[in-house]
Amino acid sequence: METKIGLEIHCQLTGTKSKLFCRCSCNYRGKAPNANTCPTCCGLPGTLPLLNQKAVEFAGMISLALGCKIPDEIAFYRKNYFYPDLPKNFQLTQYNAYGITSIGVEGVLEYGDGKSARIRRVQLEEDPGRLVYEGGSIDTSVYVLIDYNRAGVPLVEIVTEPDFVDPKDVRMFLNKITSIIEHLSVCDTKLEGSVRCDANVSVGGGNRVEIKNVSSFADVEKAVRYEITRQKTMTSRDIEVRSETRHWDDARKVTKESRTKEEEQDYRYFPEPDIPAVMLGSEFVSSAEQSMPELPDARKERFVSKYGLLAHVAQVLIDNKELADFFESAIKLYPSPKEIANWLVTDLMSFVDERQKEQERSLFAGLKVGPEHIADLARLVDQDAINRATAKQILGQIVRTGEMPSHVAKKTQAGKIDDIGALAEAVDSVFRAEQAAVQDARRNPNAANFLLGRVMQATKGRANPKVALEMIQKKLKED
Amino acid sequence: MMVTKEEVKHLGWLARIELSDAELDRYTSQVEEIIKYLNKLDTMPLEQIKPIIAKKKFADLRPDKSSDFEGDALGTKYRKDGFVKGPRMT
Amino acid sequence: MVPYALGAGQVAAGIKSREFSGEEYVCQLLERIEKVEPKINAFVTVSKEAIERARTIDKKIRDGEQAGPLAGVAVSIKDNICTKGIKTTCASRMLESYVPPYDATVVRRLLDAGAILIGKTNLDEFAMGSTTEFSRHGTTRNPWDISRVPGGSSGGSAASVAALECAASLGSDTGGSVRCPASFCSVVGMKPTYGLISRYGLVSYANSLEQVGPVGRTVSDVVSMLNVIAGADENDHTTADGRPAYSLQEGNGPRVGLVREFIEGADSAVAKIIHKAVDTLAGQGCKCEEVSLASVQYALASYYTIATAEASSNLARYDNVRYGFDMSPEGYEWNSYFAKARSNFGDEAKRRIIVGSYVLSSGYYGKYYLKAQQARSLLKRELKTLFKKYDVLIGPTMPILPFKIGEKIDDPLKMYLVDIDTVVANLAGMPAISVPAGFADGLPVGLQVMADEFREQTMLDAAYLFEQAAQVQRIPEL
Repeated sequence: METKIGLEIHCQLTGTKSKLFCRCSCNYRGKAPNANTCPTCCGLPGTLPLLNQKAVEFAGMISLALGCKIPDEIAFYRKNYFYPDLPKNFQLTQYNAYGITSIGVEGVLEYGDGKSARIRRVQLEEDPGRLVYEGGSIDTSVYVLIDYNRAGVPLVEIVTEPDFVDPKDVRMFLNKITSIIEHLSVCDTKLEGSVRCDANVSVGGGNRVEIKNVSSFADVEKAVRYEITRQKTMTSRDIEVRSETRHWDDARKVTKESRTKEEEQDYRYFPEPDIPAVMLGSEFVSSAEQSMPELPDARKERFVSKYGLLAHVAQVLIDNKELADFFESAIKLYPSPKEIANWLVTDLMSFVDERQKEQERSLFAGLKVGPEHIADLARLVDQDAINRATAKQILGQIVRTGEMPSHVAKKTQAGKIDDIGALAEAVDSVFRAEQAAVQDARRNPNAANFLLGRVMQATKGRANPKVALEMIQKKLKED
Repeated sequence: MMVTKEEVKHLGWLARIELSDAELDRYTSQVEEIIKYLNKLDTMPLEQIKPIIAKKKFADLRPDKSSDFEGDALGTKYRKDGFVKGPRMT
Repeated sequence: MVPYALGAGQVAAGIKSREFSGEEYVCQLLERIEKVEPKINAFVTVSKEAIERARTIDKKIRDGEQAGPLAGVAVSIKDNICTKGIKTTCASRMLESYVPPYDATVVRRLLDAGAILIGKTNLDEFAMGSTTEFSRHGTTRNPWDISRVPGGSSGGSAASVAALECAASLGSDTGGSVRCPASFCSVVGMKPTYGLISRYGLVSYANSLEQVGPVGRTVSDVVSMLNVIAGADENDHTTADGRPAYSLQEGNGPRVGLVREFIEGADSAVAKIIHKAVDTLAGQGCKCEEVSLASVQYALASYYTIATAEASSNLARYDNVRYGFDMSPEGYEWNSYFAKARSNFGDEAKRRIIVGSYVLSSGYYGKYYLKAQQARSLLKRELKTLFKKYDVLIGPTMPILPFKIGEKIDDPLKMYLVDIDTVVANLAGMPAISVPAGFADGLPVGLQVMADEFREQTMLDAAYLFEQAAQVQRIPEL
């Protein structure tokens, strides 16, 4: 049964200073209700929308990063409908049915390993206000409480073609989108509600179901997976899947029929007379291209060519901008890219607390290490001051304490035993204890590793393995 | 082409205006007469006439600076802890 | 002449030279207002603070400070233009208790120029109408015959100026709403090129068509007002660049085109006066010819499609949640609350919202709205061609004389048809002015003068030339 999944991603342009159509601050989180408003975003009579230049620039960069074409002119339309969170009872958005007016069309984004998805359009629109229910529940509240602080915040909507077939692909794609958005610095995806995603799912050529109210990108995969199963089950029982909008119930992890019967809406779109069409043209495009920060794919290329990292290692780094930034800061302190990359990708990542990462939307939430720690660790290993095993132990410690590795190394005298005398004693005692192994090793040089292992054990891992092995081989030749 | 009372009622709903029976009676014929007049547009020559669109340069858009509005933009007295009180959702 | 009967320019001069004080002047006006208002009903709100403001201006002048080009001049403002701290009702229940927290740009500019706000004037609800009869505050009456309409929707503005209740006024013109009442009340009223004057603070009815327009007893006063309020505004992205300055001059005999479709559609009494006006202009050295504007036949259909469509959307915000009249939200589900609150719009507002929703509804966009926009293009193209040959196009502002109150109120379409001469300028975005042309049976007739976009000076020159030659000025007996 052919599965088709399409996505509608909404991304707040938290990187702008002001709202899309007025001078109110874009940073509304944590402010008292309705403290971040003005006559324009409250829809007061006589007010007019004033389009934010930076928002158009950012939206242009997103379009280019997604391989879209940018039209010569963009315009805004009114989407007319009534709702208590909508101050004007219409939303200012972009619309392509009567001619292309949105900031980007016909793009394509590669993701995962050789996969790609087509981007239908990228458009600018305004966020509505927020509804709060007295007593917490939509059913029991006697009235609704409205906060317009968020009304008018710029949103970029990214609509894909229904090119996805597997929920896993959806997750990979969304990760890539997140990485791109962060690299462009147009949206801080760590902020709550700054990125949202709705999905459209159909199975076996049946009706399309829209899933809304998915609170995080991580849940989109789950919601889509559930919905596919639901539709396949129905189809196998010859029950028709209705074309409808369903809501994701985060608590019960299911999609539910929409409580408020969302009627067939007639939005009566027409062009916004207060906003003249904005002329962009090739000048805008080349200017946007020039001022665009390095995108994840380009960064990966650079990591491979300039630092000699393996492709898959570079991929892990750029998949999460925080990690890539961490890497570049660390190599500035100690220029050993391959070594540092390895520590990050193999070891540090294993300490990431998934739960805290979800909560605070930061890779290193709860961990007390910074680039300076990893740089220090890498230096210690490179200079043979400690061996790798010891270094791993130290890392395990410092993620909790935040101490510098060289500090810890000195403290516990975890330095390698370079003292030839002490090492020779250890080798001698092992030779005495493992006579059979010694015979083996004389015949088969590879078996010397067993003896090395014993020496490491005896010295509690502090022996310098290179030196110890040399001693063992030398001693084997004697006799 | 008739504009029916049902259509006017639907349009009233679309525009969230409660219309009384008397109003529905009165308005239906008036609205129909007006729409009939607007159909004059159908007699326009069918050549490809491009609508006039006002334009603005990207450079002339509003610079991205934020400023606070001094005063209260919301005049209603139905407030609670800063929120605006609205009718319930269900 | 008593100070209150002086024009804006004369008042400014008189106060500046301390011939009389602003306070004296305002007190006289307030007395005059009290005397004539029971007959005229031009004002929704009279501003008693005007006296205090006049005192401030007087002091500035005594102290030798710069008080502004309109210092002390009393101006009335149509009640759909936002005035900070002063109730702005749009003659609607939906804004019954609304007090704007900001000034419209045009108001700010007048105040900065030293003008005194004497009051807010009556209008048709949300500027939708041609007679000021669709108002919650009762209709305004024509100072020349109080059994007749003053025109609309800026009826209060024109009547207050005609009845000597203020020196000048600001109205708004979407399909003729400044020029129509100016014509019916025998005063001068103009609509500028679209984008010349800021709409920030003008409560939107049809935002691709409307402009704020000054009203005065003479062309000179209109020019004074224009020079203060016109020009680019960063708060309105549809305004054109630059701050223009206009002068009062007669120019040299413009080439005049009399629009056949307008004159042929007018009552004989009106046509007679317009023909006389043409003779007057010819006597002043103007070359006058009859011209045809064929696309006028689509003008009203185009206007009422676009205006109602935009109105249906612009008026959607009035759901009584953020501002409006006192009706508690408790006990209602939101759809019912909205529908009940909005049932308080008047008949005409409701009708236009319904028609507007119809023309925009699913499937009809191409049939109505798009075609209407194309008709605008057609009209503008034709006008541009005419303006290559002629400096101004003239005709009657209104095809009929001011009619009796109540005469057309039950027939919306009949009412719409009186806009035939005025909507053309709004559709094309071009400037047009109405100047008093004469009286027929004691009732005013206005001459409309139109010019190409941003050719206000040309239009004003022709208007001034005619005004000086025709000498129609009279004062109504009240």
